[in-house]
Amino acid sequence: MTQFLEVDNLTMRFGGLTAVDGLSFKVDHGEIHGLIGPNGAGKTTTFNMISGFYKPTEGQVRLRGENISGLKMHEVARRGVVRTFQHSTLFAELTVMENALVGTHMPFRPNIFAAIIGWDRDDRHGAEARASEALEFFGLDHLKGDLAGDLSHGHQRALGMAVAYASHPDVMLLDEPFTGMNPEETRQMMDLMRKLREDGITILIVEHDMQAIMGLCDTITCMSFGKFLAEGGPEEIRNHPAVIEAYLGGGAPCCLR
Amino acid sequence: MLDLLAQTGLNAVYAASYISLIAVGLVLIFGVMGVVNFAHGELYMAGAYAVVLLYTDFQIPFFLAVAVGMIFVGCLGLAMERALFRPLRDNPLGGLVASIGFLMILQSLAVMGFGVRMEHIPPVTQHVIEFSERVRLPLSRLFVIIAAVVLLSALWIFLKRTRFGWALRAAAQDPEAAALQGISINQTARIAMFIGAGLAGIAGALTAPLVSVNPHMGHSVIVTAFIVIIVGGVGSLEGAIVASVAYAFVHTFVTTFFDGVIADITGLSLMLLVLIVKPTGLFGSADRA
Amino acid sequence: MRNLLIFLAGAVALIALPHGLSFSQQEILVFLTINILLVSSYRLLTLTGEWSLGHVVIMGVGAYASALFTKEMGIYVPVSILLGGITAALLAVVLSFPLFRMKGFYFLIGSFAAGEIIRLLWKRFRDPFGGPKGIKGIDPMPDFSIGIYDFDFFEPVSYYYLSGAVVAVCLWVLWRIERSPVGLTFHAVHWQDKLAEASGVNLRAYRTLAFAIASGFAGIGGALLAHYVGTINPNSFDVEVMVFVLTWAIVGGTGTFYGPILGCVVLTILNEIVLREMGFEQMRPLIYGAIMILSILFMPKGLESVVQKIFSRKAPDNATGQEAKT
Repeated sequence: MTQFLEVDNLTMRFGGLTAVDGLSFKVDHGEIHGLIGPNGAGKTTTFNMISGFYKPTEGQVRLRGENISGLKMHEVARRGVVRTFQHSTLFAELTVMENALVGTHMPFRPNIFAAIIGWDRDDRHGAEARASEALEFFGLDHLKGDLAGDLSHGHQRALGMAVAYASHPDVMLLDEPFTGMNPEETRQMMDLMRKLREDGITILIVEHDMQAIMGLCDTITCMSFGKFLAEGGPEEIRNHPAVIEAYLGGGAPCCLR
Repeated sequence: MLDLLAQTGLNAVYAASYISLIAVGLVLIFGVMGVVNFAHGELYMAGAYAVVLLYTDFQIPFFLAVAVGMIFVGCLGLAMERALFRPLRDNPLGGLVASIGFLMILQSLAVMGFGVRMEHIPPVTQHVIEFSERVRLPLSRLFVIIAAVVLLSALWIFLKRTRFGWALRAAAQDPEAAALQGISINQTARIAMFIGAGLAGIAGALTAPLVSVNPHMGHSVIVTAFIVIIVGGVGSLEGAIVASVAYAFVHTFVTTFFDGVIADITGLSLMLLVLIVKPTGLFGSADRA
Repeated sequence: MRNLLIFLAGAVALIALPHGLSFSQQEILVFLTINILLVSSYRLLTLTGEWSLGHVVIMGVGAYASALFTKEMGIYVPVSILLGGITAALLAVVLSFPLFRMKGFYFLIGSFAAGEIIRLLWKRFRDPFGGPKGIKGIDPMPDFSIGIYDFDFFEPVSYYYLSGAVVAVCLWVLWRIERSPVGLTFHAVHWQDKLAEASGVNLRAYRTLAFAIASGFAGIGGALLAHYVGTINPNSFDVEVMVFVLTWAIVGGTGTFYGPILGCVVLTILNEIVLREMGFEQMRPLIYGAIMILSILFMPKGLESVVQKIFSRKAPDNATGQEAKT
């Protein structure tokens, strides 16, 4: 049986610098998978290669056996792999509802000729329903008319997730989703992610802070200096000597010895 | 045939000289202030009209007229910096639009002051350097070549050897970091604008007796300058000079062997090609737009 | 019901308008109608965040194409106007391949270069473009009668009705596009192209779509112009005209549908009625330049922001929140 999402010998070089070096791991369908590592480990680069933002120098990303590495971001998205962005990357000048409607672009593909003569009423209603559903899921439905740029930080992060969720993804790639959230918001967001998992959505989280996702992930892959370091369940990773060393040593492990 | 090639080559060197004076000024302004100065061709025109007024009408010695013209256009640049580009610093498209507005104002001032007719300027010198019977270089063209070499070398030394030059380059690379280092953005912008405009002014002043001076002469000049700075890489002074020389040679030779319109089309097509293959230009690296 | 009444009153006013004007003012009205289409189509392109300097040349492509279709192939004028628009749109699709490798400033310069190349080609090739003198004696719109009104298209009033009807339909289509999910996607491409792409939006396709639609309507505008004035040449579509379009858009503001139209109408009235009547003809570019500078300095969001301020006092919930980023 082919793996659901498989990263195989993924390598990225920027000039002389190797940011990711021969990284391989597998993500099972329907799990929450964490990708962790100290600063500069190449997590974000890996993330960007999976989502199609970068084209890997070597190696493949396979979704249900199909090689998706090197595809453009929208082509990856159309195969069901949708990403969020670090910070609050949103359409700040559009309303919350309009943001979510952009998220429904794939399930309700706009047709310009139908739009001009008004034959797309069903699609527009469908898109609105889906967008509302996504906003409701993330507890944003009372803010529909507000400008996205005016939202609080926690709401902006939630809206970023809602935009991704509105597109009916199979896989959601989340780039440091808990950054800047207070403990209460973090707890709520974790509950929502578990609910997403129950819906059958596979989640891959890139996170710097190991503690934040210990209680959430089913499997965790740890990388350091661009390379695979360890993989396993939360308990296993927490007690893994190589992981502990990598985190304690931070960016300069030689100083500790 | 060899004569023709040599003569065309000389013409190309002359063209490269005044094009590079204009393009380097444009690049300097873009590099330091981040704004595309569409009015640069009209600054060139202003330099030419300064010579018309001072040399033709008031009989002031030619080189004095050129020097006054250069300072006058430099001051025009300072005025633009203060009135237009400084308030619009965070709005690059706004700066561009404002410079188009300034272009129209300068152009119609020229029309009102001098009329749309071409100005006839008495030749400064009839002297011609003859290399052979059919290879000749008028002395007034040599002035332009010498001015370009001297001024651009001086600019080079200024940028690489002086504190102001260092500040200018720092501001061009990273305005925020430069500001943190205590470099005044307003100060560097003033210097860049004065030098950039002044170079365009002297190019216009020196070429005034050689070209047809009219209110619309800036148009073809700005098109040429755009081609050159795109090909050379926006923000790269070296690139602007190299591209000026390359463009001047291609354009002059195509003009000689085909015709002027074909040469213009060739130049524009080459620029599009460079934009397609390497949008940052041959010497450009940083993406600032 | 109230909206319908306002609409009807507006339509009656627009139909009655030319009868109160002098012949030269009627002519200006025809040009104004065409210019409204030009600047509105330009706004559609700016929705995706790209500012072109080749829009007027693209309009010229429509004009040349329609003129040549009637002249060389004898195609019926109304059909050739439509074909002119289609030609302009197709050319835009072809141009999009090199041009949309660039963004922002580079696109601006690239579009300018592409436009100049097209204009130089018209200048250079006497056959079929007529060289620097352009095309003369373009077929006029054939006269016809609808019973209550005889259309004689040498009369500006008749041509105003024709172009007015065509432009009204075009504006309706542009409006429908902007208010559709496609229009929303254009906005998305403008404000956060990466997020739009992550939502499955094909950026290139949408940029090209906006460019092609904008160019198509500009082409129709150009064709309307060509069959009215009867003679076109490369200088009818030079950068100076492009600067006027840019000024209309910036003075009016590009945040709303009506902004550029407002800018176009206000500046045309100022220009033709005030300046021309007062004999400031020669100072026209000077005053235009000054207006451009003053409005970018002191009214960067355009006339529409003034209108919005007036109306927002009455209806605070009506703000769309889409601001002009100039």
